[in-house]
Parts: sequence; C-alpha cells; structure tokens
Amino acid sequence: MTRTPLLRSLLRIGAMAGKESIHVRRDPRTLALALVMPVVMLFLFGYGVSTDLDHVPLAFADQDQSEASRALARAFDGSGEFVVVGRPAPEEVEALFRRGAVVAALVVPRGYQQDLLLGRTARVQLMLDGADPLVGNQVLAKADAIARVESQRLAGAAFAGLRPPLQVKVWTRYNPEGRSALYMVPGLSAFLLAITAVMLTALAIAGEWERGSMEQLFASPVGRLEIVLGKLLPYLVLGLLELLLVVAFGALVFDVPIRGSLPLILLFGLVFLAGMLGQGLFISVVAKNQLVATQAGALSAMLPAIILSGMIFPIENMPLPLQAISRLIPSRYLVHGLRGILLKGNGLDVLWPDLLAMAVFAVAILGLATARFKRRLA
Amino acid sequence: MSAAPIAGAGAGHAIVVRDLTRRFGDFTAVDRVSFEVEQGEIFGYLGANGAGKSTTIRMLIGLLAPTGGRAVVAGHDVAAAPGRVKESIGYMSQKFSLYLDLPVEENLLFFGAAYGLEGRALRSRAAELLERVGLDAQHETTTGDLPGGQRQRLALACALLHRPGIVFLDEPTAGVDPVARRAFWELIRELARGGTTVFVTTHYLDEAEYCRRIGLMVDGRLVALDTPAGLKRTWVPDRVLVARGRGLAAAGARLAGAAGIRAVAPFGAGLHLRVDPARLDGAGVAAALRGAGAEAVEVEEAAPSLEDVFLAVVDRGAEATP
Repeated sequence: MTRTPLLRSLLRIGAMAGKESIHVRRDPRTLALALVMPVVMLFLFGYGVSTDLDHVPLAFADQDQSEASRALARAFDGSGEFVVVGRPAPEEVEALFRRGAVVAALVVPRGYQQDLLLGRTARVQLMLDGADPLVGNQVLAKADAIARVESQRLAGAAFAGLRPPLQVKVWTRYNPEGRSALYMVPGLSAFLLAITAVMLTALAIAGEWERGSMEQLFASPVGRLEIVLGKLLPYLVLGLLELLLVVAFGALVFDVPIRGSLPLILLFGLVFLAGMLGQGLFISVVAKNQLVATQAGALSAMLPAIILSGMIFPIENMPLPLQAISRLIPSRYLVHGLRGILLKGNGLDVLWPDLLAMAVFAVAILGLATARFKRRLA
Repeated sequence: MSAAPIAGAGAGHAIVVRDLTRRFGDFTAVDRVSFEVEQGEIFGYLGANGAGKSTTIRMLIGLLAPTGGRAVVAGHDVAAAPGRVKESIGYMSQKFSLYLDLPVEENLLFFGAAYGLEGRALRSRAAELLERVGLDAQHETTTGDLPGGQRQRLALACALLHRPGIVFLDEPTAGVDPVARRAFWELIRELARGGTTVFVTTHYLDEAEYCRRIGLMVDGRLVALDTPAGLKRTWVPDRVLVARGRGLAAAGARLAGAAGIRAVAPFGAGLHLRVDPARLDGAGVAAALRGAGAEAVEVEEAAPSLEDVFLAVVDRGAEATP
C-alpha cells in the first residue's frame, strides 16, 4: 500500500469515529441526553422557570371608597400584571403578607378623590413583600408604570389638552418586554452543551478503560491522539446538532430572534465544545470508572454553567472573587457570545474576546488531558 | 527496517528475548528473561498470578517499555519500533475487550480498520474469519448476547484480521467451559499448522500440553523452558507407579525406605509409588510388593503431569529465593 502516513492516520481516526457513532446510535440513553433533554429543559426554563411576573396577588385596601379609588383598582386589576385578591381594612394587610396571600398591597387613604378633584397631589401607599428582592423590584416597577398611566389618564380627564409637565419613558433595549426566554435560551445552550459534551465523553472514555478495550486499542497501531480525536469527533457533531436544536426551538417557540450569523453561532459552539470535550477527557483519564466519571462530569459541567456563567445570576452582581473565578468558566463566554449574536446581532468584531477566551481554555484542557492520557498506561 | 541481530539468535526465530527486565519502582516484575520462539511454534508461558507473564507480554507487544535487556519481535525491536511491532502482531488481551454493544461483524470491521484494512478487502476478510471461527451465522448478533466461548473466538478473529505472523494470547480461555476451551485450542493448533507463531499464557496445565514448548515463570524469572516431555523428565525424574491388589497397605509400609523406593503413599484402594527409574521398573516393584506379603498385585506406570512439574518448579523456585 502506497498510502501516506497522514491518510492512514485519517483512516484510523475515521474508524474510531465510525465505531463511536455506532455506540451512540445503539444507546438510547445517549441520544436522549443529547437530543430530548435540551427540548425538555428549554420548555422548563422557558415557561416554568420564567422570571417574568404577572398576575401578582394584590390586596386593595380602599379607605376612600370613591369613584376615583375604584378606577385605580380597575387600572391595577385590568393590567394583567396584578390581580386584586382582597379588599381588606388597612390593619388586616399585615396578616395577608404573613400568610403569603399577597405580594403587594395598595392602600388608598381617605380623601384620595377629594385631593384629585381639588387638584392636589393624591398619595397612595404601595406595600411590598421584599423577601424576594427580584420579585420586589419587578412589582415596584410594574406598579410604578400603572400608577403613571393612571395619573396621565386623570390628568387628561381633568385638564384635557394639557400635557403632563414631565414625561418619563424607560426604553429597555434588546429585550423590551423583559422576557426571560430571551436571555434564558443562550444561557441554556451553554448549560446543555456543557453537560452533554463533558458527560458523554467522560462516560465514553471511562467505558473503554473499564472494559479493557483501551489496552486493546493501545496494542493496535491506532495512536493515542487518533484515539482521542476519533472518540471526540462524534460528540462534537452531536453537540453542534444540540446547539442548533436549542436555537431553533428558541426561535420557533419563544420567538428568540437570530439577529447575528448562524455560522458564527456554530463557530462559538465548536470552540466551546472543544473545551468541554477536553474537560470530559480529562475527567475520564483521572476517574478510571464510569460512575465517578459521571458524577465528576455532571458536577464540573453543571454547577459552573448554572451559577457562574451569567445564565441566571448576573455576573456584575457577584462578589469580586466569584467574578474572577467566572472568568475561568468557558460557559460565561458562550452565554455572553450567544446573547450578543442572537439578541444584538453582534459579529466577531465585538465578540472576539469571548471566542479567544474559550479557545485558550480548550487548548489548555485538551493539552493537559492528552498529556495525562499518555502517561496513564505506562 | 529490521532490528540489529541479537547474538545467538538464528533466522527462523519469531521472537528473540535477551535479559529482558522490567522494574516498577523497587519491584522487579520481570528479571533478566531470555528465550527464543521459533516460527510457527505454539509457545506456552506459564506461571502463577503476578509471576510476570502479563508484564512480559505487554513488553513484547510494544505496550510497555522494558527497563533493561532487548526483545525483537517479528524482526522489530520492541523498544525502538513499538509501532512496527504492533502492526505485525495480533493481540488478544486478558479481558474480553470486545465492544459488547456492537454487532459481531462491527467488532471485526472496527478492529480491521484499526489495523489499516478497508473496503471490500476488509469485508471479505471479516467474512472469511467469521466462517473460520464458526460465527458466520451470528454476524448480526449483538456481541454481548454471545456465550463466553463464542465471544472468545470472536476476539481471536479480531486479532487475526490483518494476518499477523505472531499472535499473543493472554489467558485466552480464562472462565470458559471445557468444551469451548477444546474448540478454541483446535483453532490455535490449526493456526500454528498454517505457520503462525502463537505465544500463549494460561492457567490451565492441561492446555499447556498442547504447546510445543513451555516457559515457566516464578517471581519474575524464567526458571524452566522445554517441551512438555522434557520438563517432565527434568523436573519429575522419578518413575511414578500405581499398584493394585490385596494387602498393599502393610506391604507398602514394609517397603518404605527400601533401595530405589523414593516415596510410598496410599492412593484410593491402591498404592502410589515414586521410584528411581535407574533401579526399579514396574515388574521389579510388583515382585518387591509380593515379597513383602501383598497378593494379586498389578502395577501400572503413571505419567507425571505438568502439574507435578509446576509444583516441583515452584518448590525449587521458592528455595532458590529466600
């Protein structure tokens, strides 16, 4: 045979990859983990774990009992943001909060209508359950918005043709409705890719050690790098399919826009996956059996991707040491990159630092893992 | 590319090993082992667990670098050109390292591709081997569903795909039933008749009888190397006789310590005697027993087994290493 060494090497890598993809095709658990879990998670996070608030239970303590106060109640109730669940006396409000029956209470003092009619500034009191600051802030913003609309309406009725002296308008860019799906989908992609890539490779390679077939492979002319490349290749393809699946579902079900370029999304996915596959390889070389590899893989992939990537908790709000650690987490760069590409239509000119950071991680961990891998059998 | 010749090793040697040594820290797993294996020979490598059999094999197939000494396998030095060695040999490891979730045929196709076969040549070679090991009807079966004996024949087929001149079989029949073991050895002998050199380790001493020559490892050293018959002559030099008849117990007790008699032991209803072959034979022992009062005596010569050899070697080996 007059084949060049490179071609023979490629054929051996192809043989490894072909064998590995038969494993994948014949193992329903792998396919479920890679292709079904993302869809389930997307629905869970998109709908269930939505951080959007609506139908906030509101107590309406009306001491004025006037036409104007009833109009205010209608404004809150009709907005869809709040539901008036009770009309207690002011002293009963506290008890409602304690029971958790309401998240907010609006107290309209006696003389509300009187003040309005006389052209004085009418004051109402909003009470909030501040136990969950995230919820509290949102409720405050929503109540503020409704009150502003109501005051405009009142101003319009009383002084037709006169504009309010000051018009405040908040304009949220990129995600004007504040829909969590929009920032959840990029975050979720990182999380899912991390889990799939790390766990599947850790499992697959630990399995070869456990089975004893790794020794058989080493005894064959297949080189170590060829083994690694051949084993990782199918999971790389599977990971990219998963990424496309998540992005497509996000676009179809949750109207997540794809403003940037699809090839750039794939490039980000590719570089990120290379790092995650390296992490899985490293774990499997150190762990030696599938059980330990699974646990180490799940923990090392999931926790950073959820907590430190900015997927749910804004990195800017973290204490400085955690912010520093998050710089070592590739998920952080994928989340930032995907948000940029999907929501803002950013290109490489803006996002290259993210890509570079992921590439550095990938090269480092793959190098480390291959070095450990070589020493393992000696 | 061929390795520099080793002194004393002629042509026709598939494997030449000189002072091969492997240390793990302070522990010497293989200690200055030397031997040759001829082309087309079935060479048995015996020893207790931890005696250094697997370490030797792993050095010979290029998996483990020797700490000292040399080994030339299929014309290639294992330390200098492990890649060449790997291409020219077949290896069947101790565990069945087949992919159990893959169909039988896919295992063959994968290992064939790993050794550089492809396309139609690979498929026809795989089909040929399936037929040879009697698995052609099961080629679509999931490997994990095969019984142990068939799995092992498949593992052998995987090691033979690229037509290696030498195959290394590390305890190939461990945990397989006797019928399957016999069928497997039939394959191995057929292989050797075709000119393939077979280097095999085993626990089963009855299997070792099939080998043309046997090397015995004790504590990392090769302490005996010969044909099965030669080993028996050297290590169990006494003639072993079994006597049957009446009044043997009393007669045996009287004979113990007599000239030429080395050991007397009851054996079932009869008597087991080890005698000096130069001084006594079956007829002589029968006469002596009759003279000591036994009646209706029949004496039969019993062949020493490799088990006797193995025990003798291990005893001697243990004496030599305090």
